[in-house]
Amino acid sequence: MGRKLQFEIFRFNPQDPLSVPRMQTYFLEETDKMTLYIALNRLREEQDPSLIFDFCCRAGICGACAMVINGRPGLACQTQTKDQPAKIILHPLPVFKLIGDLSVDTGVWFREMYNKTESWIHTNKVIDPHQQEERMENEVAEQIYELERCIECGCCIAACGTARMRDDFMGAAALNRIARFMVDPRDERSEDDFFEVIGTDAGIFGCMGLLGCEDVCPKQLPLQNQLGYLRRKMGITAVKQLVPALGKIKLDKLKIGKFIPGGDK
Amino acid sequence: MAVNATMHVARPGRRDACLDWLQMLSGASLVLFMWCHMILVSSVIISPKVMDAIAWFFEATYMAQLGGPVIGIVFLFHFILAARKIPFTSYEQKTIWEHAKMMMHRDTWLWVVQAVTAMIVLIMGGIHMWVVLNDLPITAMKSAARMQQTGWTIFYLILLPMVELHVSIGFYRILVKWGVISNKTRPLAKRGEYLLLATFLFIGFLTIIRFLTLAIH
Repeated sequence: MGRKLQFEIFRFNPQDPLSVPRMQTYFLEETDKMTLYIALNRLREEQDPSLIFDFCCRAGICGACAMVINGRPGLACQTQTKDQPAKIILHPLPVFKLIGDLSVDTGVWFREMYNKTESWIHTNKVIDPHQQEERMENEVAEQIYELERCIECGCCIAACGTARMRDDFMGAAALNRIARFMVDPRDERSEDDFFEVIGTDAGIFGCMGLLGCEDVCPKQLPLQNQLGYLRRKMGITAVKQLVPALGKIKLDKLKIGKFIPGGDK
Repeated sequence: MAVNATMHVARPGRRDACLDWLQMLSGASLVLFMWCHMILVSSVIISPKVMDAIAWFFEATYMAQLGGPVIGIVFLFHFILAARKIPFTSYEQKTIWEHAKMMMHRDTWLWVVQAVTAMIVLIMGGIHMWVVLNDLPITAMKSAARMQQTGWTIFYLILLPMVELHVSIGFYRILVKWGVISNKTRPLAKRGEYLLLATFLFIGFLTIIRFLTLAIH
């Protein structure tokens, strides 16, 4: 006999003119290894078919089921009910456009983010599709992969005080995206090119270091380290632009420019 | 991040980078100053003569007459720079307050504390500097006489924790923002920050008690 869980779930359907934002209470008996994903599906099937929420992979890969769980953004499929109190309060992610109840549209936001960060390899090389791909060092490939693990669930944006206050702030997902292309040797963008994209208060200099992103990321991406690195790198790029003589200094030689995916290495 | 159509393309520039550097450098120099300031005033715990000797040194080298106003300017300059990030509109204030309550996240709350203490330190610190710099030279007796008036006692009992909170959180956040503290060293740095705060609060309150119990002649 499991606990009797009490769910307080935000309900609002912007498509329905009669809908009013409110919290609705549901009760459900806890079962072994129950996740919020299982609980929400049971609530929808057994008690309220009108409940709106997103899910797809149920394995922490697609990022669709991100929501605010007892005040913290997280994935419903990764959250076990046994780790939560008997009363579970669920809200949709802030910042993003509400579709209904717990479902938000992260797609439009991330599409805009791709455009802003120009999230693709910039190269003048002509690729011959019949040739083998160019090889890269295994260590570099692993560094790229470490940052590429972002599932774009939007938790870091919802947990960011700056993103909540200022809607032009790019947030950790976008800055991590830039860091990923900085590591990639195939991307021919220079430090100055990257500075144009993130060297403003809407980019890295807007980050206030609240570390909400770092603490909620369901994939445990090293966001704190990346943000710190980008601030130093872009700060030094600005100084180099102001004092061209400093341009000869190689950041990596100063031991302050090394990427530290996953922590100190 | 806004998802509206771009109405105009922002001209790339170094303005925000420079302002961020200056915010960090002015903040770091004020943190350093506050630690030196603590050495000066807490020397009264050892003896009023030691404090007078240190104050005389600052006076004789013109560091008080020139350094004081310079610190005042850096203080205001730092406020103007940091104000770029402080929520002033009621919308922003409501948003960050709701956010902090929702998240129950220590670093988010620390930032809220830093923003609130900033406003208090701006006003009370300004008053303190004006009063002290208009009554040079600094001596232990003059400080004690001021602090033994009830109004000023309350004033300093409020100002001390506000300054120490702002300084220690600010110092920690500079190191986080510029990547000196990594995710591996963060728990240690957090403990260091609390230790720093506790140490300076302890010395600070001890100094206030010493001033209050100093016999004025």
